[in-house]
Amino acid sequence: MGGGRPTGSHAEVHADEADIRSAPPDDWRDAVADLLSRGYTFGSLHATGAPDAVELRAAFIRNGGFQMVTCRPADRHAPTIVDLVPAADWDEREAADLSGLVFDGRLTRPLLKHPGQLEQWTTTVRGRDTHQVAVGPIHAGIIESGHFRFHVVGERILRVDLQLFYKHRGLERAAVGRELSEALGFAQRACAACAVTNSVAYAHACEQALGLVPSSDLARARTVLLELERLYNHLNDVGAACAGVGFSPGSMVFAALKERAQRVNQALTGHRFLFNTVQVTRSDLEVNPQSARAARVELREIRAAAEDAWREVLFHGSVQNRFAGVGVVTAANAITLGMVGPVARASGVGGDTRCASPRLVYAGFKSATPLDPGGDVRARVEMRALELPATFDLLDTLLEGGLGRAASEPAGEPVATGMAAVESPRGRTFCTIERSGPAITRLRLRTSSYANWPAVALAATDNLLPEFPLINKSFELCYACCDR
Amino acid sequence: MFLLLRDLYRTRRQLALQRPKQPSSLAVRHVDAGSCNGCEHELAAAAGPHYDLARFGLSIVASPRHADVLLVTGPVTVHMRAALLAAYEAMPEPRIVAALGNCALGRGILAATDALAGPLEDLLPVTVRIAGCPPTPEQIITGLEPLLHKAATT
Repeated sequence: MGGGRPTGSHAEVHADEADIRSAPPDDWRDAVADLLSRGYTFGSLHATGAPDAVELRAAFIRNGGFQMVTCRPADRHAPTIVDLVPAADWDEREAADLSGLVFDGRLTRPLLKHPGQLEQWTTTVRGRDTHQVAVGPIHAGIIESGHFRFHVVGERILRVDLQLFYKHRGLERAAVGRELSEALGFAQRACAACAVTNSVAYAHACEQALGLVPSSDLARARTVLLELERLYNHLNDVGAACAGVGFSPGSMVFAALKERAQRVNQALTGHRFLFNTVQVTRSDLEVNPQSARAARVELREIRAAAEDAWREVLFHGSVQNRFAGVGVVTAANAITLGMVGPVARASGVGGDTRCASPRLVYAGFKSATPLDPGGDVRARVEMRALELPATFDLLDTLLEGGLGRAASEPAGEPVATGMAAVESPRGRTFCTIERSGPAITRLRLRTSSYANWPAVALAATDNLLPEFPLINKSFELCYACCDR
Repeated sequence: MFLLLRDLYRTRRQLALQRPKQPSSLAVRHVDAGSCNGCEHELAAAAGPHYDLARFGLSIVASPRHADVLLVTGPVTVHMRAALLAAYEAMPEPRIVAALGNCALGRGILAATDALAGPLEDLLPVTVRIAGCPPTPEQIITGLEPLLHKAATT
């Protein structure tokens, strides 16, 4: 069990390294290859600027430090990097849809745009008895909207084509021209279940651009909020997986525990989803010692109840039989697709952003590792249970004595671009902001759900069609976060 | 026995008794038209173990063809417009459209972007409005419950 415990409530907070350089279009691929060879991981890619002067930005991360390469494509043609970084596939398709860029060397199928012709966005599957099953965008339960097109033979899935972005609200475009503190609302409303992560990632990016670093109290308040968010999400996700196999005792007890966790959120911050608890350059959240004490007591009870409930799920043979070996993603595929978060760790691919988060209070944090990183539904669900103890430990430590108002401190020269990476309940969320004075000129939020959706399609391949809801629930990704 | 039942039936018809005043039941079909997922979480919580929407006679159903109420969340994106209208068309009459959450009510932070086709009021006849960002499970139940009484008397 990963028992991540900070070394102290006032662990050292410091600025992160961030470097930006431009490359001519001809050197674009070499610049990216150079960063990859130096151990940097792909973070995010986006296009920005006026239609006649579109620029590309690719951000990379290593050990909490950032590197960005920029390039101005000639005549809207840019060399693709998708062969170097397969994880940039959706980013390039999004840039093509939004900015009209043409990526030389690849076909960019529409991503945000929804073409009427099926051939434009699905793979042609031919053969005896192959047929298609269309699901969505409206699903049978209380579920977000998205369309899946399954190519099947009998019950077996040959391939799934995803058509998401039904919920694309243009949040990033709506943020342009707003002041930094005002545009926070658009980052937050990208998704309720990741509202804190998106807000903190946005605030970190803004503060990096402003040359500020959070005080240790500010870092502590944000770390508490991030872990509160992780707690109710992980409880929800274990329950969702139980619902995926029709195991009502599991889904009911975890739904009840999620409700208790959300009531802790309400008691501490006045909002069940922790909305409006994060501000740029400061924290207005105040938690008095009595409330903090009451929350710690309740959290300990939730912890004990969650451990009991998890034991029931773990030793329920029929549930485990349904989880095991379903929807496998190998470690090699997880790396290729750039998977992040607990679902990547379930495939044996580490990289918890919390281990290198100089702007938050995660000093000495060690990520939980699965007992058997099989990359199947069982491992993905188990990862949530394995990560809970660290979250409970962090909350218990950091809530001691309550929280007070806090501010950030100057730590460097203001710049025009800021980058940040924060570990959401679903993995690393990357935020990039560009500003002109106090106003946003470009906001890009590449969430953990966005990073992981291609893996859902891969995991479903070769499984039976009725297994798809379970595989989908074992990822439990947000559509809203992805679509923005 | 048969005579007794026949007499009772006749008496009841002659007295022209009103239909029972106690609430009836309603089937609800939820459509996410671009929400942030907050309304979905709270609707699921309302149907979950603490609040148990079903005990009021409100059930979430899998198809608009089974539904009395279309419960819509989100500011209605361009991409969801057609699916939302198709779901409404598939419902039997009489049908009720309920807007769940500030976004569906056009009060969200997104006033207008090129990605939105809403607000919902411009597309469908909304009669029930449940405000909140997101509305809590109690607010959802309080918002839907009057429909049961209305259904019982019409």
